[in-house]
Amino acid sequence: MAIKPEDALRLIAEARGGAICVPTMTTSPAWRTLAPDDLSVTCVGFMGGASALGLGLALARPDRRVLVLDGDGSLLMQLGSLATIAGARPRNFVHFVFKNGVYHTSGSQEIPGGLTVDFAMMAKAAGYRGAWSIGELDDLRRRLPAILGAEGPVLVELITTLANETPMTARGGVPFPQQVEALRIKLRSV
Amino acid sequence: MPESIPASLIIDTLKDTFTEARVAFAAEGQPPSRHAHLGWVLSVPDTHQRTVLAALDKEQAIRTLTCATEDEAVTVAAGLYLGGEPAVVMIQHAGLYASVNTLRGVSLDGRLPVFYLIGLLSRERDRDPRESRHSMVRHCEPLLDTFGVPHARLEGPGDLHLIPEYHRVSRERRGPAVVLVGLETS
Repeated sequence: MAIKPEDALRLIAEARGGAICVPTMTTSPAWRTLAPDDLSVTCVGFMGGASALGLGLALARPDRRVLVLDGDGSLLMQLGSLATIAGARPRNFVHFVFKNGVYHTSGSQEIPGGLTVDFAMMAKAAGYRGAWSIGELDDLRRRLPAILGAEGPVLVELITTLANETPMTARGGVPFPQQVEALRIKLRSV
Repeated sequence: MPESIPASLIIDTLKDTFTEARVAFAAEGQPPSRHAHLGWVLSVPDTHQRTVLAALDKEQAIRTLTCATEDEAVTVAAGLYLGGEPAVVMIQHAGLYASVNTLRGVSLDGRLPVFYLIGLLSRERDRDPRESRHSMVRHCEPLLDTFGVPHARLEGPGDLHLIPEYHRVSRERRGPAVVLVGLETS
């Protein structure tokens, strides 16, 4: 029971509407193909920062949904952000955690705790308004509209296989400083 | 050297700083803010600046968000900037050391303006911080120099102009800038 991350990202890309998206690590190569020129900024160069970057965007732009496409190893690096996000109560914040149990980019070393770490339970305990774990694509497809319309902050732990590509195998993409400048300019007009 | 820096003066200066930043953002084409307050303080509580944090709790014009780590505080500030909101990161020197990679990745390499107010807890009044007996105080300015981060020291009420000035530096250089709070606030 696991979802191919590319399939989950495709569903999210189709359903996101005008949401700002913050992919990181193994969600980033597929995302730049699925959403090549839009309201996205990839968290790269400061692993673990996607949730906090998304929180800042969500607080600045309460009129727009912010979707963070996080990794399990990444979130563990700034696990305290669950409490910070819960405390800030951004109603427009949706936190997806792609859980594959390993640091895929660096060679698939197991994360602390491996697949037994329950991010949905952690998010609920931290104070997120809702948190769910989903391991089947059809289940994600069925529940995604309600998840994206829910009052945040909410977290969805997606149990996934390994991605086809990682930032190490699919290098490239727009450099981070140019992404942030482009997003800031786009956000002025939407 | 004065005994301390009144919190009320720092808060008034922060309001002026945020107001100036909003004018600069508007000049770049940012739409009007969706918020009633002037700006954001991202804090991991600093003993040195505790009276400012206490006063901010009652302040309607500035929204304060306490973060679990300095990494988060810096990155939330960057996200706020992306969305057109001005912010100040208030931490202490130990938090700077704890979050150096975020300073590098987000603000230096990422070219996102982040302005820091950093308390020099345990700084001795009778000596330059670079000669402090405490490593946390002593290494702070050399660390900032190593990374090429512009910084200045707030030593009394007469230095409050440094806050808007270095906030402006961070915006204009699109990177980090720091004002070190050399005296306890009162």
